Amino acid sequence: MSDNLQPRGSDDATFAQPLYTPIKRRSFFMYAGATAGASALVLAGCSKDSDPVKPNLPTGNSTTADGSISLGSGDVGVLNYAYALEQLEADFYSKVAALSNGASLLGATEFAYFQQVAKHEAIHRDFFKAALTRDAAGQVLRNLTPKYPAGTFDSKTTILATAKAFEDLGVAAYNGAGKLIKTPAYLVIAGQIVSVEARHAAYIRDLITPGSFAADDQVAAASGLDMAMTPKEVLNTAQNFITEKLSGDSIGVNA
Amino acid sequence: MKLMSILDHVASAPAAAAPRRALFQQLGRAAVAALPLGLGAALPAAAETKDTSLDALTQLLLLERLVSAFYTRALANTSLIPAAQVPDFQRILRHQTQHVALFTQALQDSGAIMPAMPTFDFSGQRNVPGNPVLFPNVLTAYDDFLALAQQLEDLSARLYRSQVFNISYDPKLYKAALSIVAVEAEHSAHVRTLRRNRGVAVKSWPSATDAAIARPAAAQVLATAATGGEDNLAQEQQAGVLVPFASLLSVLRLTFVSDPSVAEAFDEPVSTAVAQAALSLFY
Repeated sequence: MSDNLQPRGSDDATFAQPLYTPIKRRSFFMYAGATAGASALVLAGCSKDSDPVKPNLPTGNSTTADGSISLGSGDVGVLNYAYALEQLEADFYSKVAALSNGASLLGATEFAYFQQVAKHEAIHRDFFKAALTRDAAGQVLRNLTPKYPAGTFDSKTTILATAKAFEDLGVAAYNGAGKLIKTPAYLVIAGQIVSVEARHAAYIRDLITPGSFAADDQVAAASGLDMAMTPKEVLNTAQNFITEKLSGDSIGVNA
Repeated sequence: MKLMSILDHVASAPAAAAPRRALFQQLGRAAVAALPLGLGAALPAAAETKDTSLDALTQLLLLERLVSAFYTRALANTSLIPAAQVPDFQRILRHQTQHVALFTQALQDSGAIMPAMPTFDFSGQRNVPGNPVLFPNVLTAYDDFLALAQQLEDLSARLYRSQVFNISYDPKLYKAALSIVAVEAEHSAHVRTLRRNRGVAVKSWPSATDAAIARPAAAQVLATAATGGEDNLAQEQQAGVLVPFASLLSVLRLTFVSDPSVAEAFDEPVSTAVAQAALSLFY
């Protein structure tokens, strides 16, 4: 499942390879019909119901052998993964939105926009918490403790750079996580959120450099496709901003 | 905003509890129950879509051909787009052209008959001179061009979000389509920012506070396809029963549930039928 996923900024040559595989005629007809496609997903999502041999996969919010907090496995892992990133984004923007000198630092218009983005991210965070609480009670990731390099909130430059880093990371994470999601409903939600994150990313990028909304480090020049990152790659970066050690080894892995 | 209703479907879907044998018997029904979540948020009738993967690829190719043709013609009019923004739209056009190539190749590889290239008409007259003009000046006046570009990009992000489910059988195409959702959203956000910088009341994301784009009634389906339902907070968890969205989130410290932010925080899908009706305005 790790086909062609590359960290942001990695060699574009990978993207020059064809991004499609021939659709075999037979599969066209085998899966002719959206219902068939959806059925396949439903089926994949529930195979554990009848499989007596279950690998010992960690549950969400459990502590692993090395003391990390596991995000869990299967779709719960994906939801906790998104929840962790949204916690981080929401915390960052809430701190920006609370700056008493925010308007002078960023400009009144931009500061107002950051306050709106702060609400979006808080809503995303709370939405995932609500979804997890409802569908996987007992596996909800704990509240994380974000941490930031000194001076992060001191200048427009560092605030915009951090915002860009978080938005780019978030978009790449959703892009890479989509294929790990088994439950179609969750994929719908991820799709509804990723485009809002992409809009944030484009807005922030245009603030830093007008016209960089979809620059080549965001949309691969060779393919016209947005960058995607694996959970491992994303967490490697996100971990710099999170006090607790997270483990995403079983995200999307089903028993 | 049909979010919590989706979770309700998940909770109630027979797949969650039924043993496998029963599941096979129920598969058709379960799949139908799951389908409207992806496709029918705006139109319940779309739950009975007959979309196939071939339909999905064909419609996405049509979309990308249309948008590519739009930007190609806009860039050909050298007095339309300010010089500072020409590279932006060249970049956007390059992405759309790459997407055309992606779906063209996919259709060719599948042995499908390649759809003929439509003769696009961005006036909305559908190539009939006597028809009323629905989209005046979109290739001669920059603000009118931007307004249509915004709607086409919003529609694009939505349509990909809906159609990914119909091409999930092909991992590479599926992954590509998932990432194009974000590409189209980035295009849209940029066009919206350009419009805002020219004095239009519009955010970088669809918002209830956006100024409506005035169109004749016959063109209204485009607005419906691009942003219809974005401001709707009411969600039905089952027919006639609304999800108490506000109270559900408010218990989680969210104190601004009546804020437009709740609607802004989630982009919406579009049904393939509504999208097709909008696309059909242009050829």
